[in-house]
Amino acid sequence: MPAPAPAAQPPLLALEGVGMRYAMAGKEANVLEGVDLALADEELVCVVGPSGCGKSTLLRIVHGLVAPTSGRVVFEGRQASGVNLACAMVFQSFALLPWLTVLENVTLGLEARRVAPAERRPRADRYIDMVGLEGYEEAYPRELSGGMKQRVGLARALAVEPRLLLLDEPFSALDALTSISLRKDLLDIWASADVPVSTVLMVTHSIEEAVELSDRVVVIAGRPGRVAEILPVALPRPRDRKTPGFTAAVDHIFSLIV
Amino acid sequence: MKAAGTRRARRSTARLAGAALLLAALALAAVRLRPSASGVPAGLADLPGLALRSLARMSAAYLLSLAFALAYGGAAARSRRAGRVLLPVLDVLQSIPVLGFFPVAVAFFAGLLPGAAGMELASVFLIFTGMAWNMAFGVYEGLSTIPADLAEAAAGFGVSGRLRAMRILLPAAVPKLVYNSIVSWAGGWYFLIACEIISVGGKRRALPGLGSYLQSTSDAGDLAANAAGLAVLVVLVVALDLVLWRPLSAWSERFRYGQAGTSTPDSSRVLDWWLAARGPRALRRAAAAALRTPLALLGRAWDRLAALHPRARRALVRACAALGIAGAGWLGISLVRGIARLAASPWPERAAEIPLAILASTGRLLAAYALALAWTVPVAVWAGSRPRVSRVVRPLAEVGASVPAIALFPLMVAVLVRHIGVSVAAVLLVLTGMQWYLLFNGLAGVSAIPEDLREAARSLGLPWRMRLRALVLPAVAPSLVTGSITGWGGGWNALIVSEQLSYAGVTYSAFGIGALLDDATYRGGGDPLLLALCLGAMVATIAVLNRLVWRRLQVWTAETFRIE
Repeated sequence: MPAPAPAAQPPLLALEGVGMRYAMAGKEANVLEGVDLALADEELVCVVGPSGCGKSTLLRIVHGLVAPTSGRVVFEGRQASGVNLACAMVFQSFALLPWLTVLENVTLGLEARRVAPAERRPRADRYIDMVGLEGYEEAYPRELSGGMKQRVGLARALAVEPRLLLLDEPFSALDALTSISLRKDLLDIWASADVPVSTVLMVTHSIEEAVELSDRVVVIAGRPGRVAEILPVALPRPRDRKTPGFTAAVDHIFSLIV
Repeated sequence: MKAAGTRRARRSTARLAGAALLLAALALAAVRLRPSASGVPAGLADLPGLALRSLARMSAAYLLSLAFALAYGGAAARSRRAGRVLLPVLDVLQSIPVLGFFPVAVAFFAGLLPGAAGMELASVFLIFTGMAWNMAFGVYEGLSTIPADLAEAAAGFGVSGRLRAMRILLPAAVPKLVYNSIVSWAGGWYFLIACEIISVGGKRRALPGLGSYLQSTSDAGDLAANAAGLAVLVVLVVALDLVLWRPLSAWSERFRYGQAGTSTPDSSRVLDWWLAARGPRALRRAAAAALRTPLALLGRAWDRLAALHPRARRALVRACAALGIAGAGWLGISLVRGIARLAASPWPERAAEIPLAILASTGRLLAAYALALAWTVPVAVWAGSRPRVSRVVRPLAEVGASVPAIALFPLMVAVLVRHIGVSVAAVLLVLTGMQWYLLFNGLAGVSAIPEDLREAARSLGLPWRMRLRALVLPAVAPSLVTGSITGWGGGWNALIVSEQLSYAGVTYSAFGIGALLDDATYRGGGDPLLLALCLGAMVATIAVLNRLVWRRLQVWTAETFRIE
């Protein structure tokens, strides 16, 4: 997968001077300020930052789940407002509906997008198989392990075939071994030519994870959170965490945050 | 920032001073009130005093209920063996229509103490029966949901005895206890009229208070005076919500385990003021100083009890148990003797009406339930996901839940009974006793939907109908079933006063078990056997419905629609 230069194409997504303030208990909390960011097609970008820096809020602004208090979000050349259904999100807490089966959870988004009933089942099956949950279609989320739940979350998001896939700390609620295998699967799916989902924006607090996955790493730091640096990662994939280039990138980001 | 804080504190100080002035005026009016045990003074000037008397009765009953709830709920949570006996008993007590047993209880208390004191005691006891069970369940639930790791940590650090009671157990019980207290308190107002009109030997006697005032003005057909009484009631309910329940509710938030994240915490200006301003701080310090010695003595006594030799303690527990068993035995013997006496009396002719009457009343309850669902579910869904709306709806519902059904009689009679019929009026009155539980529980259920599930639904772009079907309705189903169980309990209770309406000296009656019960209690000096048969039939119906419908629904919804 070649990493295209962001400037070469018109960006899929552009954040222009995005800021977010909350009024909480009479006090103003300034979470994000002046965030500019452009995302090209076929890119995989990770946002890292210390906890509380507003990176999850940023993802929700991109999706249109929350409206920024300043600045604007431009998607495919048009200013976005409201929930952007060209995006789909994978949640840190999985956010599966506990009373629906795996299959029903995955088809929910298809039904909402008025995909024809006859087409829903094969499409859901395809993505359920892709994340390795074949045979669990009729299981309920509470019968699955954490890693399997997040695979359902991933299948649900992929099934709507979004232009932009958003991942909010998708691996942080999982144990180390599970998250390694899920990370690998995510990369495979992203790189696969059969999957129409090719642009990914992911939030994580793990610097190693960001360097391992991304074409570019967006570092957010400070209070209110601002973009401290956007770091292209040109290392060849699959990336070995023990190479000097990898360690140097991690150390550099670490120095920006602390 | 600090200046704004003091300004806010000063503003609420002024508001509080206003409230204090109002209360002082009420107290003054109470002093002016002539003590009159017989007959109710119907003058408007007496209203504040009457309200104060009712408030005193309610407070006494509430304190009793609090003590009972802590002891009973604590005992049920402490040992599984005790719980296995205590919880089903509580379940039965909660689901039987207590109002129906009033005549029995009154006869007991009136015999215990002669004159006005016995009547007051009976009245307080009646209010207590409306408040206590729900609160005891609250304490039990709070205590039994202490996270295991916390209990282990406490044990590991050697926290035990009094320290454990004060720092672990009591705080754990607070949130649910406060919540249930609010519901119980509203229930107390709702049945106030029934609790202040006491019948002994087929004769009604009124205790001076707001409830009896509402009843007597209604009997006399004095709409203006009745409305004034109702207005005083509403003012009292709102004022108490502002200075007592809201602050307590906000304060209880800090004792909740886990993240408060999803539900919006209650806020209370009064609580902020109480915690921040100088006056209350001094007051609290003074109270703490005054209470220190007696509390220390009590604590030492408790410690000494806890330090007793195991054998001595076991003996003490045995003695208590023996006392309890003896009491139960005495109750059983008097019950058997009562039944024997009843069995000796002639079989009442009207007993044959009971099955049909039960059927008619169940139909009325069903109709009221359908009406209640039809409006409370949409309102709960709409308001529950909007914190700002919810903050307005909840106090309104609290006021609504506090308005006694009987207080609506004049309105019912004036509008409905004359034009449509008693049966419809009865359904609407039952509705007043049923709907609020559904609304409270529905609101709580909707506002407890986790934020991540809401976000997921928006992220997937679910249109509102799908959101309702896939997210909101399944998520509130368990709360709605809980609300339905309590609501039907309230409905049966309300039924007893809803099928027989008297206004301006005329009695309007709808055929049903409530009306039959009323006749059995009052008509021609009362018929104890008919009364007992009616109560038995009612309790049996409720038990069967609970077992066949509600218990199953509860288990099913709790398993299927659980969110972990």
